[in-house]
This record gives sequence, structure tokens and C-alpha cells, in this order.
Amino acid sequence: MIKIIIKGSILHQKTKNSKMKTSTKYSILFVAISALISCSKDNDNPVANNITLHFNNTFKNTTIVLGDAASSTATANTSAEGQIHHFSELKYVVSNIRLVKADGSEIPYNISDLDKGATVVDHSKAQTLDYVLTNIPVGEYRQFKFGLGVKPELNTLDEARFPNFYAQAGANDTEMHWEWGTGYRFTKIEGFYDSDHKELSIHTGSTVEGTNGEPDTYTQGVDAYRDITLTLPNNAVVGRNAPRITINADFDKLLSGKTNTITLGAGNATPSIHTAANMVLFVDNLGGNGSSDISGMFSVSSVEN
Amino acid sequence: MKKVLLILSIFLLLLSCNREDIIEPMPYDNPEIPLNIPHGFPPLNPSVDGNRPTKYGVELGAKLFNEKKISGNNTISCSSCHNQSSAFADNNVQAIGIHGRVGLRNTPPIQNLAFMKFYNWDGNKLTLESQPLVPIITQEEMNSSIMEVIGKLRNGGEYRELFRKAFGDENITPDRIYRSIAQYEYTLISANSKYDKVKRNEGEAFTESEARGYQVFQQKCESCHSTELFTDQSFRNVGFPPNTSTEEAGRARVTGIPADYMSFRVPSLRNAEYTAPYGSFGQFPTLKAVLDYFDNGVLDADNLDPILKENGNRILLIEQEKEDIISFIKTLSDSTFVGK
Repeated sequence: MIKIIIKGSILHQKTKNSKMKTSTKYSILFVAISALISCSKDNDNPVANNITLHFNNTFKNTTIVLGDAASSTATANTSAEGQIHHFSELKYVVSNIRLVKADGSEIPYNISDLDKGATVVDHSKAQTLDYVLTNIPVGEYRQFKFGLGVKPELNTLDEARFPNFYAQAGANDTEMHWEWGTGYRFTKIEGFYDSDHKELSIHTGSTVEGTNGEPDTYTQGVDAYRDITLTLPNNAVVGRNAPRITINADFDKLLSGKTNTITLGAGNATPSIHTAANMVLFVDNLGGNGSSDISGMFSVSSVEN
Repeated sequence: MKKVLLILSIFLLLLSCNREDIIEPMPYDNPEIPLNIPHGFPPLNPSVDGNRPTKYGVELGAKLFNEKKISGNNTISCSSCHNQSSAFADNNVQAIGIHGRVGLRNTPPIQNLAFMKFYNWDGNKLTLESQPLVPIITQEEMNSSIMEVIGKLRNGGEYRELFRKAFGDENITPDRIYRSIAQYEYTLISANSKYDKVKRNEGEAFTESEARGYQVFQQKCESCHSTELFTDQSFRNVGFPPNTSTEEAGRARVTGIPADYMSFRVPSLRNAEYTAPYGSFGQFPTLKAVLDYFDNGVLDADNLDPILKENGNRILLIEQEKEDIISFIKTLSDSTFVGK
């Protein structure tokens, strides 16, 4: 695209001034090259490498095994209120990733592009448990921030703008579109609780209405997006090596969180929870309440450089 | 001269960094259509100002409203459920979409929406422009996606010309689809019923029964069904038999506020004669059934509407009053609007 236009502009010059000297042509070429360079974004940091985020979904320290109602292999967990439960399905959206360098400067990772900067972590698909951040500038990183869910200004199911993420989230085996709210589901947990395996189905997502990205205009609804900040146990060093950060998502917190202790029952275990204040209790447990708790169920268990 | 050329070429190159060339909108005579705002109607939704109906915008919107290609298998259009002869509602208990799938709620009529602050039974949408995507992607309605829709419209050929007339070029974009459908809906204004003619002194008069009905209505119904839209646009739990779907929570599904549980937007009564059955999921086959239910007493709830609570969870009505109220409600029928 750019090349064609450069040619066009040179031709344009020729027709206007056929006597143009070679030196002028070179100078134009020079300008063209420098303009080309100025079109690309990342050349200030010529050396970069990947960081792999590995999501380890657990009940306390045990990596979760999914299973249907009568499964003997599924990982069973017991809540603070003594309710035994296990999951058959476990998905959540991670977006708005930012890396904080040792000097405090923040490197945003495609935070306005869901196709390049967001993913659905689906516990049943091993490949989704590793999310590779590419082209991260060399340096030492001490902190890592991300969103559980999608921030309001991007949460519009905009297929034209982000066709890949829209497709990933909307796949039949993923079902992370929340049609009536024209947004994404942020978490989708299916499973069973109590000894008689009653169904649990916990979906979270935002219903805020207003001008996207302008909280002053939000006139109604619930914002289920949560911003997570995790400090790394040791710095991730991006250089010749590509670090791997293991993030624990401890779903024990779902019912026994830092903010709320929840007992499942007819009023909150199945989707009637969309309704209510109930959903926010789960959201605060999973993603923190945004003030006193900014990590929710998440922690970093290791950084391998 | 060389310097000028050099500067020019730099300028051109800088421009080339932009992604799209700037295309001058082709001048086209696409006049704005003035909305005839009936006397006493509430103010327009603020969104109308940013999307004023135009001649070709409305024409395109009307065509899209009736276009079955916007459903996954080309069987369902907006008008499949929003049928003009039923005041742009239908007469099913709950909406029926693609493959005969049954939706959660009763189809609401599309009328006088330019004057509404909230859309849908639970008011989850505040602008009409943000509404059309919901049925397009909902599995029980059209089960498609906006890019799938655009792909089909691009293939047709005829639509390109319509988009050019409406928006200046042939680009078919999601936003233009939403805006043109909203423009069409803004023009669906119903204010030509017998009631309106009586109010405007156009030579019509209420019958005795209608006049009595209007009186009872003002005493016993108007606190909610107020204004010239016959709704105060509030959300209330009036103790109707609840929809047992786990998806249903009324307004609380949107707000997350327990006091909104099973509250629904007070429906307009204009053209109610054409929109049976009634209630958020069509609980009542007739207007008489609704009035009987209120008379016999509604279900109690913590958040039951305070007006009902004050009146012992019921609206006492004798049979004659019910008959008269129904006569009055039928004066709100606008036969020209429904094309009858």
C-alpha cells in the first residue's frame, strides 16, 4: 500500500518536471525510506522477546480436573461453608494486559485490540492455558496487570472491529457471547454442588449502559470488569530468554473469597444470578473488589527466566 | 521549485501513513424527514438528535426491517415478529424466532419509540441504535452475526445503491445498518386514534361506555399508564404470574438491584387492542383477563409496587368498570398506523 503510493508520487513528480535531477530523486527516496520507518511503531526498541503467561486453574494448590455430575476423577473442593463442589466447565476472559518495568514504567500490550491482546482461557483446552505475549521490549519486569473480562469501552461484541476474538469467544464450544447485553461473558463456570450434585452455573458479565469508556455517562447496570495487579516474586527478565510466568487462578475463592463467603442455593447457583447483586459477589471474589482487593483469586506462583 | 516538490512529496508520504484515503462524500439529495411530534408527547430520546431520519435512511431502514437475510438461515426478519397489523408486535405468547425457537418474552410493539427513554421489557437498551444487534445475534431470534449479515447484503448489489443514497457511499457497515433501522423506527409514530381525535376536537366523541371507562381509567390505571404514551416508563413489579425461566429476573437482570427483581417496564396501552396476549411472557390472553387478575388480587412480593400494596395487592373493579375500561382502551387503537 505504502510502496504503491510512493511510486505514484514519484511518477507524479516526473510528469510535472521531467528535468528533475537524480540528486533530487535520491533525496525523495531518502524521505520515502525515512517515512516508511516512521510508519512502524516499535523500532525504538530493536531487541524484544516473548513472555508466556501460563494459567494454572486450581482449587487451593490442586490443579482442577473437570468432570460431569457423577465423575469420580473431577477435583472436588469444599467451601468455607462446607459445600462440596466440582466443575464441568471453566472459562474466563483475560484482556487489557500491561507489564510494569522495574523502573515503574508501564508497557501496554495491545490493550485496545481484542484480537491481539485478549484471550479466552478455557480449562478444557490445554493450548488456551498458555498465552504468549510477543515482541515485549527487553528489560526487567516486576509487575503484571490485566483485566478479568473486557473493559466497558471495548465490550460491545463488535465483530467488524475484532473478528478473531469475536469468533474465539463465540464458538459453539465456548459460548462467551452475552447476547442480550451485547457484551462478552467474562467468566462461565458450570458444575455441581452438594452431595446430590445440584447444578451450578455461574456466568458473569457487564450490563452498563452509557457512552462506552465514559463512566460519568453510565446510567444503569453492573460493571463486572475487574482490573488485577500482580507483583512478581522475582523480576521477569526479557532478553535473550523468554520468561514464563505461571499465574494461579484459585477457584476455591469463588465461594470462599477475600470479600464474600457464599453459600450456594436455589437463588444463586443457576443463572438467576444474572439478576442480581448475587453476580457481583462472585465477581468480587474472582477479580477483587477494585479497592482493598486488587488480585481476587489470582497470584503468581513462579517466574522462570 | 524543487523545494516545493520535495515538501509536496513529504506531505504525500505523510498522508500515505493514514490507512484510508479520504473520499469526498458524494453530494446527494437526501433530505431530513421532519418528525411530526404529537401534542403532549414526552421529549424525544436524546439519541434522535445524533441520527435524524433522512429520506433514504428511512427507506433503507424499512427495507432492512423486512429483510430475512439478516437471520442465519434467511427465514426471519424484524417484521416476522414486529408485524404492522399487530402494531409492530405479534400475537404469540412469546416471540418465535429461527427454527421455531421460543424466546424469553412477549414481543413488544414498535411504536412511538422516538419518545421512549428505555427499550425492551427490562430497559436494557437506552438507544435504538444499540438494539438491532441483540436479535441478530440471539440464538432464539435470528442466530446470525453482523458480519454474516453484511456479507449477504454486499452480495445482493441492490443494497450498495441504497447505502450510497442514505450515507453517501456504498460502504455497508454495522453502524449504518443500526442507524438506518433506528431511523425507520423513529418514524413509526402512532397518534391518530379516536382518543387523539377526541382530544384534538376533530369532531369525534367518546361513547357513554368509553367516557365512563376514561373516568375509571384516570382513577385506577393512570398512576402508571400516564402521559400521552400511556406509560410513565417506570419499572414495576405488579405481582403478575412470574416467568419461571432461570434467565428471567426482570429489570434486576440489568441493574443487579434486588428491588428490581421481576420488575418490568410499564407498557404503553396505545394499540393494545392489536397486541394480545399481554404480560412480559404473554400470561394473559385478553385485556379482560388482565383486569380480572388485578381485581382478584396479585401475587405478593417484597418489592411489589407500593400503589398495589396500599390497595391490598389488588385493583378493585366491578364488571361494568372492566367493560368500560376496555372500551376506552380500544379508543387508543390507531387503524391507520396498523394499516387496517
